[in-house]
Amino acid sequence: MQFGIFSVGDVTTDPTTGRTPDDTERVRAMLTIAQHADEAGLDVFATGEHHNPPFVPSSPTTMLGYLAGVTKQITLSTATTLITTNDPVRLAEEYAMLQVISDGRMDLMMGRGNTGPVYPWFGQDIRQGIPLAVENYALLRRLWTEDVVDWSGKFRTPLQGFTSTPRPLDGVPPFVWHGSIRSPEIAEQAAYYGDGFLHNAIFWPMEHTAAMVNFYRQRFEHHGHGSADQAIVGLGGQVFMRKESQKAWDEFRPYFDNAPVYGHGPSMEDFTRETPLTVGSPQQVIDRYGAFWEQVGHYQRQLFLMDHAGLPLKTVLEQIDLLATEVVPVLRQEAEARRPAHVPANPPTHAERVAAARAAGEVHEQGVAAADHWTGRTAEDDLAAADAAAAVPDGR
Amino acid sequence: MPQERSIVVVSAGVSQPSSTRLLADRLAAATVEELAARGIRADVTTVELRDLAHEVVNMTLTGFASGPLADALAKLAAADGLIAVTPVFTASYAGLFKSFVDVLDKDVLAGMPVLLGATGGTGRHSLVLEYALRPLFGYLHADVVGTGVFAATDDWADGGGDDVKPLPERIRRAGRELAETVADREPSRPAGLYDAVPSFEDLLGH
Repeated sequence: MQFGIFSVGDVTTDPTTGRTPDDTERVRAMLTIAQHADEAGLDVFATGEHHNPPFVPSSPTTMLGYLAGVTKQITLSTATTLITTNDPVRLAEEYAMLQVISDGRMDLMMGRGNTGPVYPWFGQDIRQGIPLAVENYALLRRLWTEDVVDWSGKFRTPLQGFTSTPRPLDGVPPFVWHGSIRSPEIAEQAAYYGDGFLHNAIFWPMEHTAAMVNFYRQRFEHHGHGSADQAIVGLGGQVFMRKESQKAWDEFRPYFDNAPVYGHGPSMEDFTRETPLTVGSPQQVIDRYGAFWEQVGHYQRQLFLMDHAGLPLKTVLEQIDLLATEVVPVLRQEAEARRPAHVPANPPTHAERVAAARAAGEVHEQGVAAADHWTGRTAEDDLAAADAAAAVPDGR
Repeated sequence: MPQERSIVVVSAGVSQPSSTRLLADRLAAATVEELAARGIRADVTTVELRDLAHEVVNMTLTGFASGPLADALAKLAAADGLIAVTPVFTASYAGLFKSFVDVLDKDVLAGMPVLLGATGGTGRHSLVLEYALRPLFGYLHADVVGTGVFAATDDWADGGGDDVKPLPERIRRAGRELAETVADREPSRPAGLYDAVPSFEDLLGH
């Protein structure tokens, strides 16, 4: 089972000091946090994508590309990439580039965005959110798996003879997750393709999360990708820890009370009871998160939101250390001990996906013969010409 | 076997005892009686918004229902009819009443038979049912019965209030209209959570 952190990249005033970092400081803090998570031995760092203040991470592949160079082990991901308002052609190119640069140490998570105006800002209509997610993702997959794509659809300009470059690493596209909180259509989409499904459970009661995950599992089996318990599931979570539980409560309370999303609403007592937010000792986190499998089955990835609500960088790094040293080793061991043998321990790695694709005879070319821009010939013509040339007998 | 229906009563009175709750109970009793006369047993759940006020505000901030509010919303979603009663505050429904309506799923009242009631200090507020509550429930596509019941303070006195259509008579008539509408419908079946999700082939347009 993988454990990691995800950031929404909010720039929030620290309520205990009244200090607000500027955007540059916040971006650099995110880089520091990701590198620290790698050094601490966490499995995943994921960044959100937002195009509205107070969030800074508008350009995930720039950030993750840098991190691919300076980290060693950690899987780099998004949480989430906007499949609705980004051009799927740009997504195919940017994430294939990231896949190559990170040597396959990445995946990505599709989502639909956190604010209504992002749709009109990027020329889309929020009422088409689900159809956009469906059409754009279908095109994105084709661009990764087919060397030359002819396409027309409802939401973007048609493509004739288009080849997205670079081609996916080893001819196998990145592993994709679909993140959703309340749209069962997205769970259905993940199940249809046999992709991963991440339920960002952080603001929701566990019963809701369990219902949605189990729906995805049933549909995964229905669409023929394996048994329901073999579906690839991730959950969101959030914790704040100190060795002494009361210290955790005292320290985190002003951040909770003023947090942009849940501040000034339910009490921390209510919120920690109803949602996965756990404030207390590492052992309390182990007890809480170690029990989620009872409701959702063995799952493959647990992501924690830690750098939010104005928490200072130093505190976030301490939280990562506590998570990596005191919580994750225990949870990993517990998860592995109870995992049924036929259920995948982790989401598939790039190497595993390459092996599976080779076994199934599905590996694609990594390079495609170039289109001739001067005569307007396409790569298809070149491939046909290459085939014809290869067919000419020796000794001509 | 007698037929069964479920009626949810929402009362937004804020004091205890509450004349709004009193009116809600009378409307519920009239409806149950009229349903019984049609061979239908009604199961009544009364939701006092006063007890859910904090959860309603929390849900407007967090987007999810917790504890007893989640139960109330689930009951409402599965109900065959709704009786909704609010006090009049500053020329309209109570803010708490509107806040509760705001956290409902936008489709949950579509087609649901609804009886509206309101209470106020004087009869001068009686049209609040028509200019405030009826449009709100019309927007939600509820099937609001023709008679709404407004009770002014004087209506609770014997011989006070409206002596053309005294309150008990209006309550009986409203209860009968709701009962008739509910009785005409098939009982609502608890839907599976994701029954309405289209298959992905349909989403893809194949």
